[in-house]
Amino acid sequence: MSNWEHLRNFVVLAAAVVALLFVPPIFSIYIRSFFMFMMLYVVLALSWNIISGYTGYVSFGHVVFYGIGSYATGILMVKAGWHWIPTLFAGAAVSGVFAAFLGYAVLRLKGPYFAIAMLGAAEGVRVIATVWESLTGGGDGIGFPNVENSWETYHAMLILTIITIIVAYWVGHSRFGIRLNAIREDEIAAQSLGVNTTFYKISALVLSAIFPAVGGGIQSYKVLYIEPDSEFFILVTIYMKLFAMFGGKGTVIGPILGAVILYSVQEITWIKFPTAHLIAFGLFIIFVARFMPRGLMGFAVDRGWARKGMVH
Amino acid sequence: MLGAFLAVAYALPFAVGIYTESVFFDLQWLADFTTVLLNGFMQGGVYAMFGAGLTLIFGVMRIINVAHGETVMLGAYMTWSAFFGLGVDPLLALFLTLPLAFVWGWFVQKVLLNAVVGGPELTPLLMTFGLGLVMIHVVEAIFTTDFRTIPYLPDALRLSENISVGRNRLISFVMATVISCGVYIFLKKHRIGKAIRATAQNADVAMVCGINIFHIYMITSGLAAALAVAGGALVSIQFGFNPETGIFYTLQAFAIIVLGGRGNFIGAMIGGVMLAVMESMISFMVPNGTAMVELAAYGLMIFVLLIRPRGLLGEKTD
Repeated sequence: MSNWEHLRNFVVLAAAVVALLFVPPIFSIYIRSFFMFMMLYVVLALSWNIISGYTGYVSFGHVVFYGIGSYATGILMVKAGWHWIPTLFAGAAVSGVFAAFLGYAVLRLKGPYFAIAMLGAAEGVRVIATVWESLTGGGDGIGFPNVENSWETYHAMLILTIITIIVAYWVGHSRFGIRLNAIREDEIAAQSLGVNTTFYKISALVLSAIFPAVGGGIQSYKVLYIEPDSEFFILVTIYMKLFAMFGGKGTVIGPILGAVILYSVQEITWIKFPTAHLIAFGLFIIFVARFMPRGLMGFAVDRGWARKGMVH
Repeated sequence: MLGAFLAVAYALPFAVGIYTESVFFDLQWLADFTTVLLNGFMQGGVYAMFGAGLTLIFGVMRIINVAHGETVMLGAYMTWSAFFGLGVDPLLALFLTLPLAFVWGWFVQKVLLNAVVGGPELTPLLMTFGLGLVMIHVVEAIFTTDFRTIPYLPDALRLSENISVGRNRLISFVMATVISCGVYIFLKKHRIGKAIRATAQNADVAMVCGINIFHIYMITSGLAAALAVAGGALVSIQFGFNPETGIFYTLQAFAIIVLGGRGNFIGAMIGGVMLAVMESMISFMVPNGTAMVELAAYGLMIFVLLIRPRGLLGEKTD
């Protein structure tokens, strides 16, 4: 990819950022929150994509990192009295270390076994968050002191989104990303060519665990209340997975597109059809897995609208 | 390695119990403990039902059906509807629900999964995941998210002064044993059962021998759904259930088949009983244990996959 294309991509990103910075004041707080949550799902889908799209280890329990981030913010703010910004870094650190340990164990498993083990790990951490009442408040959850923070959280989420996009873009265009792709295509061949697969797999998982933790932290400060069943909600994983797959996993633009399109669709539909929209999402997952495994980007590449290659 | 791990896993509840001083080793405690173990053992029959269907599908098609727990949940709701809607006894209702379940499994296999058998392993995983989501929310739309139970023989059968067994547990254990033995004999002796085993061993060779393997896939899937629904019927007479409990049944079933050996029918029976006994020990001895029992399934699943992926009875090659 030439320098011109990198430049063009950054100009597009900068234009989107400027638009997001200056447009919101004219809208209501609801629209602002809507944009904030949309950016949260862009972050989540992109992070999921690092381990599952680039590296090919499909995670069914990625919500665990999001939940750890929200609990880190909740516990440190409410029980230790920290300012909310440092708690985000603390959450990212805890989540990254947890991902390193978890990854060292479960990344030995291949394909479906990794997926199910991650699902089990996420559910297990949810149970621990429910049971460990002295730390997490148990099933009652943690309530934050009430403040109006839609601007702060909006800007924090915008910064996080920019960082995540740049990191995901860097991963996609670096030797690091090429090695991850090699692991996805053929792990044994990659190993025989001298790629330290264990190191790269664990780094990919750690990288994909940091951003959801920060996003979860910002989100918990925004909604001002956390409890295990909503912070470790399996639907969050479903959304990450579906958004990234719909857009096209293994690309940079795919998860962004998927999150923007599908989050808007679900926002419009869930108010009117709270149950039907999940039925529709279930059918949609089946459809995407069966008929468009490469997502929108694969569709675009086939028609010559986007360049063939590793990432876009 | 696996033996050592299991010894530690079973010793852990004792250790925690002794540490928190809820274990006494006097006569009353031993009687209670025996009751708990016995009830856990009986409950294992139900878990074996969960595991049997999943292991059958895995053995024949190498597919992990993540919607399995949702089929169990569906079975519980079918039994509930038969009991309250038609006034049918939950056990007699099996004659009604099992054929329906078989048709459901057949249909899912024909429409969704036949096309993806033998392809990338993750496609069926994602598709059954989507299917499970659809099933949860369709059931939720009909029955709401309220917890339901069927009051069926809730009294306990006294074996001695201090030891007793829930009558519904005993009946469900007997039912589970009868059904598993029936399926086992079917797999061993019947022509179709033999064809199923042949397909599990080597689908290509089975095809060359004149077995219509897609037909066998549909029968297997139907059988697995029937086993799951039977498990659901047994769940409905002893526990509360709601549409969202399915995911936990899936993970339990997966823990069971990983422990017993993926694709091994007898392994699923043993794994079911072992998981149930461990769960009952945790809920009995660990403070706040009833909330922690779920950890048994998750922990077993992850550690057994890491220590000995083929489980107790699985074959060496995967």
